[in-house]
Amino acid sequence: MLRKQFSRRTFLKAAAVTAVSSDLFSFGTWSKQAEAAEVTVIPSICGACSAWCGMWIHVKNGRIWKVTGQKDHPSSRGRLCARGHAGAMWPYSKDRITHPMKRMGENWFEPISWEQAYSEIAVKLRAVIEKYGPGTVFYSENPKPTSRFYMPRFMDAIGAPTIHSHHALCSTARDVANKWTTGRMATADMAKTKYVLFLGRSYADGISPSATASLAAAHARGATIVIVDPRQNSSCILADEWVPIRPGTDLALMLAIAHVLIRENLYDVSFVSEYTIGFAEFQKAISQYTPEWAAEVTTISADTICRIARGLGANRPASCIEQGYKAPNGANYANGTQTFRMLACVNALLGNYNQDGGMKFPVGPRLGSLDPKVYPAPAKPKIPRCDGVGVKGEYPLCQTSQGIPHIMPQRALDGKAKAGFIYSFNPVRNAPDPQLMVKGYRALELLVVSDIQWSETAMIADYVLPECSFAEREDLPTGIAGGAPAVGIRCQAIDLLHVQTRSFEDIVTGLAEAMDLGHYFNFTRETLAEAMLKPLNINLDDLRRKGTITLPSPANSLQFHTDSKKVEFYSQAFADNGYAPVPVWQPPLSKADEDTFVLIHGKQGFMSHTATANLPQLLNIAKTYDLERLWINADRARHFGIKDGDLVEVESPRATRRIRVKVTERIHPEAAFLPAGYGNISPWLKTAYKFGVSPNDFTPHRVEAIAGHAMMMEVLVKVRKVVE
Amino acid sequence: MPRYSMIIDVSKCVGCFACMVACQNQNGLPLGNAFIRFEDRETGRYPKASYSIAPFQCQHCAEAPCVEACPTTASDKDQFGLTQVDPKKCIGCRRCVAACPYNVRIYVAQQGVASACNMCLSLVAENEEPACVSTCLTRARYFGDLDHPQGEFATMLQFAKPIRPEFETKPTLRYIMPKGRVNNG
Repeated sequence: MLRKQFSRRTFLKAAAVTAVSSDLFSFGTWSKQAEAAEVTVIPSICGACSAWCGMWIHVKNGRIWKVTGQKDHPSSRGRLCARGHAGAMWPYSKDRITHPMKRMGENWFEPISWEQAYSEIAVKLRAVIEKYGPGTVFYSENPKPTSRFYMPRFMDAIGAPTIHSHHALCSTARDVANKWTTGRMATADMAKTKYVLFLGRSYADGISPSATASLAAAHARGATIVIVDPRQNSSCILADEWVPIRPGTDLALMLAIAHVLIRENLYDVSFVSEYTIGFAEFQKAISQYTPEWAAEVTTISADTICRIARGLGANRPASCIEQGYKAPNGANYANGTQTFRMLACVNALLGNYNQDGGMKFPVGPRLGSLDPKVYPAPAKPKIPRCDGVGVKGEYPLCQTSQGIPHIMPQRALDGKAKAGFIYSFNPVRNAPDPQLMVKGYRALELLVVSDIQWSETAMIADYVLPECSFAEREDLPTGIAGGAPAVGIRCQAIDLLHVQTRSFEDIVTGLAEAMDLGHYFNFTRETLAEAMLKPLNINLDDLRRKGTITLPSPANSLQFHTDSKKVEFYSQAFADNGYAPVPVWQPPLSKADEDTFVLIHGKQGFMSHTATANLPQLLNIAKTYDLERLWINADRARHFGIKDGDLVEVESPRATRRIRVKVTERIHPEAAFLPAGYGNISPWLKTAYKFGVSPNDFTPHRVEAIAGHAMMMEVLVKVRKVVE
Repeated sequence: MPRYSMIIDVSKCVGCFACMVACQNQNGLPLGNAFIRFEDRETGRYPKASYSIAPFQCQHCAEAPCVEACPTTASDKDQFGLTQVDPKKCIGCRRCVAACPYNVRIYVAQQGVASACNMCLSLVAENEEPACVSTCLTRARYFGDLDHPQGEFATMLQFAKPIRPEFETKPTLRYIMPKGRVNNG
């Protein structure tokens, strides 16, 4: 292990110069021993969310002391958020899974040996494959640098094609729509934009430190920042304008903005003629969507809609609509797929693709892989997936790289899925309808979960395979896309804390060996890492020293990766599968009346869904500042006789829960907002257990028709005061 | 001798708590103790509502009520004019906690002593910024020397003032308040 080292004595010398006695004014924990202790600094990648920030872990006396951001890393740029700092202490959580476990009953697990775990899992998996075929086996993950290589290879080896990421609960509507509109994901060029519109996305709540910094910097240099959201999110502090919108109607706003851009001839005619197809059909469809019509649908005035459209038009191509991820075009509403299609179409009208201040295509490094002659890879399975993705008549346009994980419990109940592996992903808590999730996963003949803590999903597994934490292992190098691509690595910072936990590559390799498929894993992670870095001429040890290495920016040409190689206002693929080929208005499923609210939810800057709620430092923030509360609009609250801090009962057809209320002027009257990070129900997440309420309790299980996302904000609730 | 200070630009603070948690780790604070706390305020009516949130920590007052209140000189000014606590002299009487008008003195029950922001002098000695400054995502914090202001610190100092001057304690820290979103009461 290579470590950047400096001695505590260096500090004492420096302190002597400024005549500060560290002895006199140091805090209690800087004991004599700690003062004398050497601090080692090891490069790592944060494990507290999916931004994967490059960071330095500072280790004192063999224990993690603190973390700091790597200046070269595109996500952190030298800074870390609260989750990153608190996540540094994750390895020391009292709720780690410390042994391979076998489920014996409700909340009852017995520790078993790895050998027993592997052999029993192999016997059951072989039986499922022989009886029902490998098409009934699935794997769902929140992808990690090492897992996303190892486990898909294992799935290929057993002949099972159904692999999911968590994105159907996050960004699948965007990603599928994008595939069929521009073919490449473009991101807002915050460094140079003059006018940027955000739909629901908040850089100050769903944090990647460099993105949050980019918003503050854009605001400081005078770019116009407009935030459309039913709730005044934290980013509005750095915005020029908050535009509250009726939940789920962002598509209408996009349609009307396009209408104004075309009607007032504010769009980029030459870009449209050179780089798009289907403009005539699009123009015809859009002609009915006047700002006056959209005002009725969205509750945003026609004047405001025209002003935004003109602002975007006047500043093009250095203007854009930011791409979002969860938000109205991610996984939240029935019209999410068409909302992102429209978002991409408006950006096309602005002619902003690959333009400074518009939408840029990030480019990632091209990592290598193993030499197949020495390390033969299993063939890709050719049989249909059991989640219906890529299957005609089911979800033909959804991306196989993401799939539909939350459909699996229902598929299990329907007899179409028989065995599952889930890694670092918690659909029982983080997908709608937890009762269905539990019932469905339990209908499987085999469920194996690998995680570091007792997630709700781990609690219902037949076997739980404990991974060591991010700080106790080295991972495969990871490529980072951006203006300047980079490559980073997570190195081992501390010794293994629980000797029975294993790195994920060891877990998968052990499984493969038990299935007599060890020959597909006849290499070490280090060999693979070197093969990945070879095309970049990067030495593994050099990367381990530096943590992040930035690569030269490649030429980034204006190319669209659709079938037509153009931006598709008209999608033939959509037409062929019976979906609207040009975006047209599609209402959300849920519209509030005078008795109900649309239940919206979102991240807080110090919490990553429910995964980080069990970190005591973070949960303490929520407890200290009452941040688990349900937001409702002040006028509506008055109408219901509800005061700030009152206990209320929130009811949908699926659940009734109690929570305290935050009465605020910062939310649309038709929306009620719950932070998404609470409501853990695993009794073995002892810090977070039963704190707050999860919006998923209220929401029915649904699968959107095109992208298959979970439509997580399509739910109405009633709110009534509880007399205490 | 430098007169170290910090400027907090409240118009840029989004209340992400990164500074608070970075500070807890840097200073090894037990769970439940923090040198930084937040106050927030909502003003206006929907849809013109507005919001601000401001971090508070030891203001390192020149005329520090905590130092005056301390019976053992555990709370004292250092050579930079900063307020520091010597835990060896602290008897845990908590008079300083009661005396601080900014409510940023804390009692660390685990150690039985009072404590507060020490301006991360151990980092400053290594030519680094305090932990809250170096991690601030929106760069709402600036560290510098009031007597020899440099760079951004000097630029921002023109717009910065002590917060709640009515306490008459001559704070060393400076704040920039958002226009129309003043959080000073």
